[in-house]
Amino acid sequence: MTDVTLYHWEPNANSGKPMLALFEKGVAFDSHYLDLLNFDQHKPDYLAVNPLGTIPAMKHGDLVLTESTAIMEYVDEAFDGPRLMPADPVDQWRTRWWMKFMDQWLAPSFSMIGWSVFVGPSVRQKDPAELEAAIDRIPMPERRVAWRKAINGAFSPEEMAESQRRVGLGIGYLEEALGQRLWLASDSYGLADINGFNLAYAIPLSQPHLCNDELTPNIMRWLRAIYARPATRACWALGRTDLARRISLLESEPA
Amino acid sequence: MTGILYHGQPNGPSFTVLAAAFEKGVDLDLRAIDLVAGERHSTALPHPLEVDQSIEGEGPVLVVDGVAMTDSVFLACYLDELGSGPAIRPADPYARWQMMAWCRYVIERVAPAAAALGNAAAPPLGVPAGIASADLEGRWKNAVEGKADDSQLADSRTKIVQAVEKVEAQLADGRDWLMGDFTIADLESHAWLAGMRGIVPEAFASAPLTDAWGARLRARPAVARALGLATIAHPETIWAPGPEINRWG
Ligand SMILES: N[C@@H](CCC(=O)N[C@@H](CS)C(=O)NCC(=O)O)C(=O)O
Repeated sequence: MTDVTLYHWEPNANSGKPMLALFEKGVAFDSHYLDLLNFDQHKPDYLAVNPLGTIPAMKHGDLVLTESTAIMEYVDEAFDGPRLMPADPVDQWRTRWWMKFMDQWLAPSFSMIGWSVFVGPSVRQKDPAELEAAIDRIPMPERRVAWRKAINGAFSPEEMAESQRRVGLGIGYLEEALGQRLWLASDSYGLADINGFNLAYAIPLSQPHLCNDELTPNIMRWLRAIYARPATRACWALGRTDLARRISLLESEPA
Repeated sequence: MTGILYHGQPNGPSFTVLAAAFEKGVDLDLRAIDLVAGERHSTALPHPLEVDQSIEGEGPVLVVDGVAMTDSVFLACYLDELGSGPAIRPADPYARWQMMAWCRYVIERVAPAAAALGNAAAPPLGVPAGIASADLEGRWKNAVEGKADDSQLADSRTKIVQAVEKVEAQLADGRDWLMGDFTIADLESHAWLAGMRGIVPEAFASAPLTDAWGARLRARPAVARALGLATIAHPETIWAPGPEINRWG
């Protein structure tokens, strides 16, 4: 028993951010796995924790926290262990800039692609009436729209093309930044890297024509360096599906 | 070395950063630029990735020792680290989480709505040359051509109504400031809501606590000084394309 409970899905995207931060800090926590593909995040038990019905959420004693990036900052400040926010104020600014850029520009584009090729097809075969009822339980109107589109394969060609455009540009921006510094936002491993890894660990598999040893050597170096960390191994061991298992591609040797 | 702050009229993100600098007593070389004329894209400013791809759209740029920084809430955090004035972030980690989560809500839901409504009410005259980001350029084109999507505008009004309800609820226990003590959350919330009184008056129809909070905020010397930099009578009516409306959900 610990006084920290994390409600999460796979170590991936938003769930993986506080998970990996907790592992890096060496904070023991009770893992409460929610199956996103089974709509666990919209069930009453979880809505009592996070009324918005999105994952992750964390309890620390009586305190409840949401918003994965803000949770990471809290984890870094509230617990002992290695500092994950750099000490220099400019590096702190850069850390937050990158996290916002990824959270609000790059990650949503990856999500749209991921939901259209993976999440939608994974739930589509369920009973239509059951799916309709599940969608009606979603608290946020924006998310009801996204789920409907994913299930019906209804993302428009224009919005998919825009997402793919952003993914292509974003990979270029990451490569450029990682060509300037050892880590994404500073010279030490930190929150921006944890955030970025959760977004990017599988890009060499999902976007092989854009991200590989030849085209993006700095991204590949960075992903392998993060994969080599014991905290990353321990974190991804909590994965239960092929989504998280994609991480094993980072066992490959640099070409 | 003194930092250089390129800023627009004290509304939206420029308001947050100017007021934060004055609250913290950070001495900056203030350079007013016309954001609505697109001066942020001129070659007079540095154009690293963090300026050209800022999620905030047309916000201020702070240059310190050759590093150009953007995004108002994070600039305010930076100024809080740097300046000697009283802290504008809580020290307790949970209170700090509350402030960052609040600001994230404003950045992600309120700011895009306010920018969409503000630009629809007072469209910029032309699309400036030299915009590096294609999606920001798209928002400029739509704003100039008055091509706002009706359902997005309606949803934006709802977002403003909800934001004022949230402020009102937060102040219901009689506190003076959103987080208890005065913080960046007060500045950032006021930055985007001030101009909405004229555009979404129904949101403020019965919001006495929000009214009193706004008056308290404007009475702070640092805030008054920021507002005093306006070169027009109503800086809260001046808008340039801001953050995009969430395209994912
Ligand atoms: N801004 C929130 C977003 C959380 C979020 O949207 N999580 C996704 C999973 S990565 C989710 O819960 N999706 C399922 C749903 O919306 O039903 C955060 O960073 O924590």
